[in-house]
Amino acid sequence: MFAVGVRVVAVALVALVAALVLGWSPLVSTSLVLLGGVYAAGLSVDEASLDGASPVFAAGLYLTAELGYWSLEEREGAKGEPGDGPRRLAFVAALGIGAFFVAAALLALVDVVRARGLAVDVVGAAAAAAVLLAVVLIARRKP
Amino acid sequence: MTRTGSPRIGGYATVAAVGLAAALALRRPELAIAAAPFALVLAIGTRFARDPRVEVDFALETDRALEGDDVGAEIVLRAETAVDRLDVVLARPAGSEILDEEGALAVRLRAGDERAIPLHLRFARWGLYDLGELEVRARDPFRLVIWRATFDRTHRLKAYPRPESVRRILAPIETQAFTGSEVARIKGDGIEYADIRDFVPGDRVRAINWRASARRQGLVVNERHPERNTDVVLFVDSFADVQGSDRSTLDDAVRAAATLAARYLERRDRVGLVAFGGILRWLQPGIGITQRFRLIETLLETGVEPTYTWRDVNVIPGRILPPKALVVALTPLVDPRFVAALEDLRARGFDLVVIEVDPVGFVEPGQSEIEALAYRLWLLEREVLRNRLERLGIGVARWGDDVSLEAALEGVRTYRRYARIARV
Repeated sequence: MFAVGVRVVAVALVALVAALVLGWSPLVSTSLVLLGGVYAAGLSVDEASLDGASPVFAAGLYLTAELGYWSLEEREGAKGEPGDGPRRLAFVAALGIGAFFVAAALLALVDVVRARGLAVDVVGAAAAAAVLLAVVLIARRKP
Repeated sequence: MTRTGSPRIGGYATVAAVGLAAALALRRPELAIAAAPFALVLAIGTRFARDPRVEVDFALETDRALEGDDVGAEIVLRAETAVDRLDVVLARPAGSEILDEEGALAVRLRAGDERAIPLHLRFARWGLYDLGELEVRARDPFRLVIWRATFDRTHRLKAYPRPESVRRILAPIETQAFTGSEVARIKGDGIEYADIRDFVPGDRVRAINWRASARRQGLVVNERHPERNTDVVLFVDSFADVQGSDRSTLDDAVRAAATLAARYLERRDRVGLVAFGGILRWLQPGIGITQRFRLIETLLETGVEPTYTWRDVNVIPGRILPPKALVVALTPLVDPRFVAALEDLRARGFDLVVIEVDPVGFVEPGQSEIEALAYRLWLLEREVLRNRLERLGIGVARWGDDVSLEAALEGVRTYRRYARIARV
């Protein structure tokens, strides 16, 4: 299982590098999904109650996405002003820290309200479905 | 401005959707927690992305320059709303280059900001350049939305040909009636000594040659050659253009034409122009600084327009080719239509000189034996053509990488001095 996970992570890294080299943005989301898949597999194997490191994973995944897309944007060749790079880096770092705190807050909330029962499961599923629908609508709507 | 989504929107939506679906399927809230930042950024970023309002202007410091010179320009940006990142791309016509900023700029503007961005441009070749088409791309802080717009602030710049170094130009055989700088063959009032003759009533006393009169026992007067102007017509071949990596025969022909035009106009000669090719352009002979600018601006529009039509000199209006004019043809001697026109002009009695803009330097000999043989045959054909033109009385000056224009003109000057009609 560990060997499979290592292979999937390797494929994810190759996809990310290919995205940066070829300039093909769909490979960035592909690599993120693969990394998420390895994490999900690890969670399934461990069968722990709640992974306390999930905010770290969330922040890391988000930072990987931001840095990957930023690299692709830099390929367009627009020369920025002095200080543009450090300013953008600080903003991305702030977003990463924000992602960590959002994930940590959600983790604490989940830990607090977690209870067994079909009702809670249904509410949780409905909430997740609502968020999923909203995300799909946002992605499909032409800005 | 046109608003579109960046690749991040699709990517973040994919990760958020897959994360949430996996959390539902595997009943692991950690996956939803991992997907939450992506969904949150999508929601906040798209909700608060406001259309930017930006004005862009473009200005050149001059509308005329010499080829190869640096020209300053300025892009002015005025933002009514804040823009986190604004990319500006100046469309560059072929033959121009931007010496700094690499043609793209990315700036951050606050609401009410006005920014002027200086640029330096260089134009490697003479011609007309339309500059000022600007493509602008604006992005929000989360880089989820891209706004695009194109601003047309076109200014035309005329890059004039750089003059070649020529100290002496060709003297026409015949002169015209007006005062100029060319010593005429006829006799009249002037400075150059021509001859002596017997005194006749009406001659000025000042013209008497007293020394000769003492020897002849009768009055003898000096005759002089007057200074007259001449008519020159520059006959530019625009049927064909043999191109190299950074220049072409037409580029060189136009530079030489501009140089010769300037030199002849300085001598108060009348200079006209005929660009003979797919598109026929002409300029009636004239004098002065105005004529110089007219000639150069007509030359700037000279280009090769492909055509299979056979043209002869009958299409040229008679007033463009005055009698006794010196016709200076600038041609690579590649197109048979132009060669036929030269022979026709010579047959009509025009004083004709050909400056051959040598295309040999632009052509590779070829790798294979057949290609090398074809190349040699081509060179021999060109030699035969030159000999044929010279036998008709047309001086041919070969101007290439190894022969300067000055040296080429000197060769023709020698030919014209010693060429005689052979009667057989």
